[in-house]
Amino acid sequence: MRITPAEVAALFLSIKVALLSLVIMFPPGLLAGWLLAKRTFPGKALLNTFVMWPLVLPPIVSGYLLLILLGKHGFIGGFIHRVFGIEIVFSQVAVVVAVSIISFPLLVRGIVTGMEAVPQELENAARTLGASPLKVFWTITFPLAYRGIIGGTILGFSKSLGEFGATIMVAGNIPGKTQTMALAIFSSVHLGEDAAVYRLVFISTVIAFIALWLTERFTLR
Amino acid sequence: MADNTSIRLDFRKSLGSFTLEVNCTLETKVSAFLGVSGSGKSTLLNCISGTLTPDEGEIAFGDEILYASASKINLPPEKRRFGYIFQEGYLFPHLTVAQNIRYGQPKPRTSSDAIDVLEISELLQRYPKELSGGQRQRVAIARALAMEPRMLLMDEPLAALDSALKNRIIPYLHHIKEAFETPILYVTHAFSEAMALADEAFLIADGEIMASGEPHQLLTAPSAMPISQLTGVENILFLPVIASDKARGLTSLEIGDQSLVIPYIEAEVGEVIPVAIRAEDIIISLDPNLTISARNILLGKIQYLDVRNDRTWLSILVAWRHLAVKITHEAREELELKKNMEVYCVIKASAINRLWH
Repeated sequence: MRITPAEVAALFLSIKVALLSLVIMFPPGLLAGWLLAKRTFPGKALLNTFVMWPLVLPPIVSGYLLLILLGKHGFIGGFIHRVFGIEIVFSQVAVVVAVSIISFPLLVRGIVTGMEAVPQELENAARTLGASPLKVFWTITFPLAYRGIIGGTILGFSKSLGEFGATIMVAGNIPGKTQTMALAIFSSVHLGEDAAVYRLVFISTVIAFIALWLTERFTLR
Repeated sequence: MADNTSIRLDFRKSLGSFTLEVNCTLETKVSAFLGVSGSGKSTLLNCISGTLTPDEGEIAFGDEILYASASKINLPPEKRRFGYIFQEGYLFPHLTVAQNIRYGQPKPRTSSDAIDVLEISELLQRYPKELSGGQRQRVAIARALAMEPRMLLMDEPLAALDSALKNRIIPYLHHIKEAFETPILYVTHAFSEAMALADEAFLIADGEIMASGEPHQLLTAPSAMPISQLTGVENILFLPVIASDKARGLTSLEIGDQSLVIPYIEAEVGEVIPVAIRAEDIIISLDPNLTISARNILLGKIQYLDVRNDRTWLSILVAWRHLAVKITHEAREELELKKNMEVYCVIKASAINRLWH
């Protein structure tokens, strides 16, 4: 099996983008997960809706909305263009943004599930033992929610690896620049390069299998 | 007990249709709140520990105000330094026993004292799931003690244990009472635990304090009807041993100039034994010369009759003690029971249970 440099580039871009998106989205994911699992506040349902929105929207629609928002004349993209002179759409930054938005709900869902399973009573016990809410979070809630957190992380990471619809809308399909694995497969199918398709499909399948297996290993007792 | 360790409770907390309303000061070393489940005991402790905020009122420890709705003071639980011991223990499952005990940032000396008193030094490297119920509860107590709390709050710490285990833990609680200065607020539905430990007891029902006093006063007071609902046992007597016969398996207690025979217990002559008798376990007879297996036929006098919906309640004066007796209306009519009548109370020895001493 001979992998072409373009395919390697696509594979590495996918992994780079997925890792980057994970690093960027993990802290807000933890915060959102904690708020949704452990707090009651006005607007909680609204926050949940916002976080989960990309899960129910067709990715292509999310991508289109991002395109409008991040484009040179968009609300955010226009501002960045004016201030920094950078264009986001059709760049690797756009890939990261697209992938982050789409995978965020899965990450948060996992974290929420993990944290909901941590009994309030244990956290209260820690408080009475003199721990501040922050200490309770890091010493009780976080370690006891680790199964859900790892689960959400791996699912979000896998989703990022394979994201297609939003990425192609907002970042295009530029080989060597914004072409991820999924986009490379799409292109190869289009061009009738069967051997390339098989290679890429094989790699994707293996990665998906490993990710899911790791999830199960870490989350099953 | 000095003033600076008294705790003043004067607050109200509603949860749905339930309202807890207390107004009392706890000044003794061990105070017990006695009540059935749902009477508001846990709500009370949660408000004191700070994990629940009252609707209004004030909570103060010595001179320090922990909560006051008027001046909007509400100290968070981590600033109150009350060691809270829960019925379920709530040990942190991902930490070893040693780490659990260290969690409350103790000074090492206190934690080693607690470890000694509770005899858990063998268990330090284990995880909570590797402990038995009794061990887990001892670790939970040590964890609370190790943080050097200014007060221990115990919420049914023995309720999850079987009675053999309970009797093994109670001595540890006694040790704590002796070895540490910390005052204790003990919440339980088991009057025997309250009697074993408390200097003062508060009877709590439907979110209100119904009575307070020394535990045995509370339990033997003729007016303490709620006690029976609480304990399921209407008669609690403290009687001295007059003889104990191991061979026959019986012990005799003195009740006035009569004697009450109970199953054999190991006790010295003269030792005062608390015993419990249920009101429905007492049979009323007009004739003392019964050929009957029951070992006790006590002469008494009916002080009053209380005809309720389904049963008649009698209060019978035996020597100077009241026995509550529950009989059917038919029995009352057939025996033509009236106030001031002399009757005999027939009680099987095995229907008399010794309480914790």
